[in-house]
Amino acid sequence: MSQSRKILLGAGGAYLVLVILAFILFGNAGRQDFVPQEEFELPDWISLGVFTINKAVFYLIVAGILTCFTMVWIARKMEAKPNRVQTAVEVLYGVMRDNITRGNMDDKMAAKWFPFIGALFLFIWFNNLIGFIPLPTGHHHFDLFGLSIPTFGIYAATANVSVPLVLSLLVFFSYTAEGIRAKGVGGYLKSLIPAGVTGAMAGFIFVLELLSNIMRIVSLSVRLFANMLAGHLIILFMAGGLAILLGIAGIGVFLLPIGIALYLFEVGLVATLQAFIFATLSAIYIGGAVAESH
Amino acid sequence: MNFLLAAETTEEGGSGLVSPVIGVMLWTLIVFGITLFVLWKVAFPRIAEALDKRQRMIEDSIDTAEKTKREADELLREYRERLSDARGQADEIVARARRTAEAHEQESQADARTKREEMMDQTRRDIEAETRRAIQQIRSEVADLTVLATEKVTRKTLDASDQKRLVDEALAELDFAALANEERR
Repeated sequence: MSQSRKILLGAGGAYLVLVILAFILFGNAGRQDFVPQEEFELPDWISLGVFTINKAVFYLIVAGILTCFTMVWIARKMEAKPNRVQTAVEVLYGVMRDNITRGNMDDKMAAKWFPFIGALFLFIWFNNLIGFIPLPTGHHHFDLFGLSIPTFGIYAATANVSVPLVLSLLVFFSYTAEGIRAKGVGGYLKSLIPAGVTGAMAGFIFVLELLSNIMRIVSLSVRLFANMLAGHLIILFMAGGLAILLGIAGIGVFLLPIGIALYLFEVGLVATLQAFIFATLSAIYIGGAVAESH
Repeated sequence: MNFLLAAETTEEGGSGLVSPVIGVMLWTLIVFGITLFVLWKVAFPRIAEALDKRQRMIEDSIDTAEKTKREADELLREYRERLSDARGQADEIVARARRTAEAHEQESQADARTKREEMMDQTRRDIEAETRRAIQQIRSEVADLTVLATEKVTRKTLDASDQKRLVDEALAELDFAALANEERR
């Protein structure tokens, strides 16, 4: 038996013993009144009428500031001979400009719409990423030297339907306006019907296409929001939520490694992938609105 | 199940989880608008400018390299041309030198030949002259000896007519033909 296999078996055995011990020692002890969705509630922090600041707004503002600050800071430090950070940013910029934007529309349109698509990608990406940094924004409070400090939690503004919905609406209005500008109102509406479809079928298809255009708003926003929410929820459950809910402390020890793996998966892949998908679909919609044959 | 029921109740309470909250939407619009503006006006142009500058620099470098290479090729071509020219010239010089040398040699050979022939002619003439002089001397000596011998024999002095007759007789007896032959050869 090789050395690494021995170590692996030993660690696995110790882990199993720990799980069994947790079952025996704590049993049902962890059970509390725990409502997972409380973590996603938005109590008012500063009441300002319609501009009330709550957790989602706080995350939005932090993400916005971070996006602007990071990009401007990097842009100011651009040099002829790039270091590693600059190379990474240049690759990112190249992906946004060449793959996402230019890949889906002609060069003139790409030059016009790149700032929008790029800002969408970066804004969503930063929102997704800071959503995985534990901040003291939790629903519950704990006492520390007499101070009542909120529990650390993870939350993302994009895990709230309002944020992706606004961005999706912006995309919808952008590509509709661009399509009408390119073809006129009648021409744009006509371009919704695929070439070669005539007669009564054309009317039916037209209604279908109109609906699918409106459904794009829903699909764009729900894809992002549901992915982020599901990611946060599953991390919450794996990192202890399920143990409290079921009142089985041992299962918490068992699930924690899965939680860590899922956390890395969400941060490393889903956060970036969802931003990429949102930006790419936006570029496809805008490019498609002015394209000759729909 | 507990959780699902709870979710439904809080949704009604307006958790904002799945029902849009107008305040958050407005904030999203504002924050995204500002972010878009800052990226569009400040960050993206600078990054694009830096990238364009680098691309121009690379293109310039490539152009310069190509130009230098063309120049180098041109120089090499010129150098090769000159080298082949020089080689041709060198060949020509050698050939010319060889021709000159040959001509010179032939000339000097001809000169030498003429000179030798001249010298031989001169020698021949000298010999002929010497031979003639020797024959003349022998003749006169023979005449004198004849006179002397005749006087001794006859014990009388010969007069001029006798002397002349005697000499002529003696000379007629002597054969000079052989000498003359040798001289001619």
